[in-house]
Amino acid sequence: MSARAQTLGDSLLPGTITRRGFVKMGGALFVSLSVPAEFNYANGEGQTSLDPSLLASWLEIRSDNTIVARTGRTETGTGMSGYYAQVIAEELSVRPETISLILGDTDRTPDGGYSAGFLFGMENVRKVAAYTYHALQDLAAKQLGVPAGNLSVTHGVVSGGGKSVSYGQLVEGQNLDLKIPVSGGYAKIDPASPDGNGLAGLDGFTVTGEPKTKAVSQYKVIGTSYPVPGIPDKVTGKTQWSCDVTLPGMLHARMIRPATMGSSLISVGTLDKKQFPTAGIVSKANLVAVVSPNEWEAINAARSLASTTKWTDWAGLPGSDNVTKTIRAYPWGAPTESRGAKGPEVRAALASAAKTISATYEVPYVRHAPIGPFLAVADVRSDGSVTVWTHSSQSQGLRAQIANTLSISPEKVVVRWLDHSGQYGRTTFGGDGAEADAVILSKLTGKPVRVQWTLQEDLAWSSVSPAYVIDVKAGVDTSGRLSAIQSASYTPHQSDARLLGAVLAGMPCVTPKAGSWVATEWPYDKIQNRLEEAYGMPSIGSDATSSGLRGNIMRTPGQRQQNFALEGLMNEAAASARVDPVQFRLDHTTDQRLLDILNKTAKAAGWEARPSPHRSARKTGNAAVTGRGVCIMVRSNAYWVGIAEVSVVPATGAIQVTRFTIGADCGKVINPRQLDRCMKSGVAMGLSEALKEEVTFDEEKVTSTNWSRYKILTMAELPEIKVVQISRDDKGFGGGSEAANAVVPPAVVAALFDATGVHARRLPLAPPFVAGLLRG
Amino acid sequence: MASELTLTVNGAKQVVSSAPETPLLFVLRNELKLTGPRLGCGMAQCGACSVLLDGEEVRSCVTPASYAVGKKVTTIEGLPAIWAAEKKLSDADAARTLHPVQQAWIDEQVPQCGYCQSGMMIAAVELLAKNANPTVAQIKDAFTNKAPSPHLCRCGTYAAIIDAVQRAAQSMKG
Repeated sequence: MSARAQTLGDSLLPGTITRRGFVKMGGALFVSLSVPAEFNYANGEGQTSLDPSLLASWLEIRSDNTIVARTGRTETGTGMSGYYAQVIAEELSVRPETISLILGDTDRTPDGGYSAGFLFGMENVRKVAAYTYHALQDLAAKQLGVPAGNLSVTHGVVSGGGKSVSYGQLVEGQNLDLKIPVSGGYAKIDPASPDGNGLAGLDGFTVTGEPKTKAVSQYKVIGTSYPVPGIPDKVTGKTQWSCDVTLPGMLHARMIRPATMGSSLISVGTLDKKQFPTAGIVSKANLVAVVSPNEWEAINAARSLASTTKWTDWAGLPGSDNVTKTIRAYPWGAPTESRGAKGPEVRAALASAAKTISATYEVPYVRHAPIGPFLAVADVRSDGSVTVWTHSSQSQGLRAQIANTLSISPEKVVVRWLDHSGQYGRTTFGGDGAEADAVILSKLTGKPVRVQWTLQEDLAWSSVSPAYVIDVKAGVDTSGRLSAIQSASYTPHQSDARLLGAVLAGMPCVTPKAGSWVATEWPYDKIQNRLEEAYGMPSIGSDATSSGLRGNIMRTPGQRQQNFALEGLMNEAAASARVDPVQFRLDHTTDQRLLDILNKTAKAAGWEARPSPHRSARKTGNAAVTGRGVCIMVRSNAYWVGIAEVSVVPATGAIQVTRFTIGADCGKVINPRQLDRCMKSGVAMGLSEALKEEVTFDEEKVTSTNWSRYKILTMAELPEIKVVQISRDDKGFGGGSEAANAVVPPAVVAALFDATGVHARRLPLAPPFVAGLLRG
Repeated sequence: MASELTLTVNGAKQVVSSAPETPLLFVLRNELKLTGPRLGCGMAQCGACSVLLDGEEVRSCVTPASYAVGKKVTTIEGLPAIWAAEKKLSDADAARTLHPVQQAWIDEQVPQCGYCQSGMMIAAVELLAKNANPTVAQIKDAFTNKAPSPHLCRCGTYAAIIDAVQRAAQSMKG
C-alpha cells in the first residue's frame, strides 16, 4: 500500500480484488475477456491473488483520466515509487502525478518480485504501459476515425484529424481484450533452491515480449526530478506506517528471547496478576511472549516475566574477536562459485610474473540496523485465513513462508505492505522481522496480535551481514601493470531466510543451504588472467536452538566485501608501481564508461595526479596528516567512483573524512535530484561502514545491542559531499542507488594509506585499531 | 491505573486514561492516535520519538506522560498551527500552509524511508527558534551533540537535512 493509495478509499481490513470486483468498481476499466488456462484459480471469487496476465491487474484508467498502477514491489526509501510513476507516465504519455500506485499487497498487486530489483520491476510496468499505449492508440484510431499513425498523445489526451479524446473517455464502457504476456510465478518454498535460501520464484512474474517503447530522445518525464510521491504525507504525519496498524481486539505483544543464542527454555516465569491484570503469557517451544491490550502493560509485564523465566546455559559462539580464526579453521571444500580463467592459466601467469603482491582483507559482521525496530501485525482467523501487515520488501516470499510455517495453502494468506523503517536488504527473502512471531501468537490467542521488537532485540536477534575473509594475489609485469589476479573469498552463509519466530517455536521453516557467490562485475578488461572463487560455510552458531548468527544479504551484498579486497589490492599495486591510483585504474581498462566517470569524478575532486603515499605521509605524532584515495565499482549496468579525502591523527588513530566525491554513470538517469539524494545518503552509510560498524558478540550472544555499542554515522561526521552524474541515452537503465555505500570503504582505506603509508586491510577503521596499526 | 491526566496536545486539551508513568509516546500514539512520533530505540538514543514540550525537544519514549501535564505538547501534526498562529494567518491560509520546516523537508526531498524524520523536524523547529540563521557547523552540532543523544538517520539523509534546515531558515525570515 502506498500513501497515495489510501486516498482511493482503501481500508486496512483484508480485502480482495476480483475480476467481478473490477467490473463493479466505478469508472472505466480495462477488463480482459479471456482468462488463460494456466491461471485457473480454484477459489474463483475468493482468490487472494491477481491474475498477472490481465491488464486490469496492473493498470486501471479511470474516467477522470487518472491511473492506478499496481506492482508487488515496494518503496524501500530510495524513491522507487517516483521512478515507477515516471516510467509508466513516459510510456503512456501522461503526467506522473495522475498515477497512484498500489505497492506490495499480495492480494492487490500482480507480480511479486524483489523490491530491490527495480530494474526488473521497472521493465515489467514499462512493458505493461507500452502494451497499453498501443492498444489505446488502436482504440482511438477507431473511435476518431483517424489512422493511428496520425495520432499524438499529450497528457493522456489523444489528438488527430482535428479531434481529440482523453484516455478516460476512450475506455469508458469499453472492454479491451488485452492480455499481458507473462512468465514466472509467485515465490514458493523450494528446499532444492540453488540460491541457498530455500525459496524459488523470488523474481515473481516477468512481463514478456518486446512492445515498442518510447525513444529515449522523446523522453519528457524520465530524466526530470519528479518529486517522490509519498514525501508530503510522511512530513505531515498522514502516512499510515506498518507500526500504526490497529485492529479491533488487537493485543500488543513483547517477546522474551532466550538467555543466549543457544539456550532452551527450562520454565516460563510467572506474572503478578495484581500488577499486570490484563496481561497474558503465550509460549510455544522456545518462543515466549507477553500479550496485553495495553502496550505499556505488555512492556512492563515482559520485563517482569523475563526476570523469572529460566533458560539453559550455552556458550557456543567463538566471540567476534575470533571471527577470522573461525572462518580460517573451517574445513573448506570446493568453492561454491568460480569465475574467470581456469586455475592453471592464472597460476602460470602468477608464477611467471615479475613480481607478485598478495594480501588478506577482512570485513566484519555488520547489520541492517533500522532506526525503527521491526514489528508486524497478524490476524489468524478461525476460518484459517491469515492477514499480515508488514513492511517486508518481498511480500510474496513472506506469504510463502508464513503459509509454510502454519502448514496452510498460500491462498489462505494475504500480506499487506506499508511503509516502515529502511532495511537495506534485510527482507529480500521475505522475512526477518516480527511476522512469524505475530502469526504464531495470533493463532495461539485467537486474536489479532501486534508484535513490536525492541531495539535491543532487533540488534541482537535479527539476521546479520556475515564477515568475509578474502585472499587476493596479483602478478605484476615489468612495467608495473597487473598480468593476473587470483582471489578467494570465504564467508558464512548470507541467504538464511528462516523466520526467527518459527525457528524458536519449532515450526516449519525454509531450509538454508550454505554457499556464496562471486558478486564482482569485472571492471579491468586489460587484466586477462583472473580467477575469482567464492566459498561459503554455514552461519556461525548455526547448530544453536536459535540458528545462531543467521546470515543475510545487505546493501550491495557480496560485491561490497569482494570489491573492498579487489580495490584494496589495486591501490597496493598502484603504490608498489609508484603510479597515480586513478591513472593505474585507467591503465587497466578500455571500458569507455569507466574511463569517463573516473576522469570526470577525479576532475570534480580536484585530484592531483601523483603516487600514494603522499610525500609528507606520517604514521606518528599528534598533528593531523591528510591524504586522499580512490576506488571504483561496476554493478548492475552502473559505473561508480569514490574519492575520499581524510585527516588522520596518527597518535590517536582518529580519522575525519573531510570531503567525499562520488561519481556514477547509471545509464539513463531517471530522476537526477533523487539520484543526488541517494548518492549522498549512500556515502553516509558507506562512511558508517568504513569507520564505525561492527556486530560484536561473546561466546553466548550478541553484545552490540544499542546505539552506543552498534555505532552508526552521526551528522557531525558527515563530510562535504560532491556528486558527479553521467546520464547516457544509449546504455539503458542501471542501478542508481544501491552501490553508493560500497565505494566508500576502499576509498577511505586508500586515503588513510596516502596520509600514513600504512595499508589497513580490515574494517571498521575505529581509532584504537588504526592507532595500533600505525604503531606497527 | 484508572487515573486521568489532562494534557495539552497540539493546542487541544486531552483527558487521557493511561497510567501517569506511561511514556508520552505511547499515550500520543495509542490513545490520541497521533502517529507522527515513532518508537525507535525506546531509550533516548535516536530521536525518532521527539516532540516539543513547551518548545523544548524531549524524547517521548522516556518522558512520563505525567511530566507533560501543564505543558504544551507539540507533534509534527501540530506544527502548521503553530506557524499559522505565529504569522496570524487567516483560516483559509492556515489550511493550506505547512510549517516552513515541513515545507523545506518536502522541497528538499529529505525523507527516504522517513522513519526518523518526524524527530528530525522537531529538532529543526527547536533549533531555528533559538538560532534563526544556523551555519552548517551549528546544524551538525545541534543534531549530534545536544543531549541526550545524536539524532540518527540510517538512510543517511544528513546532507538533505542540512539543506532543508537552511532553506527553512531562509523562508522563516521572509
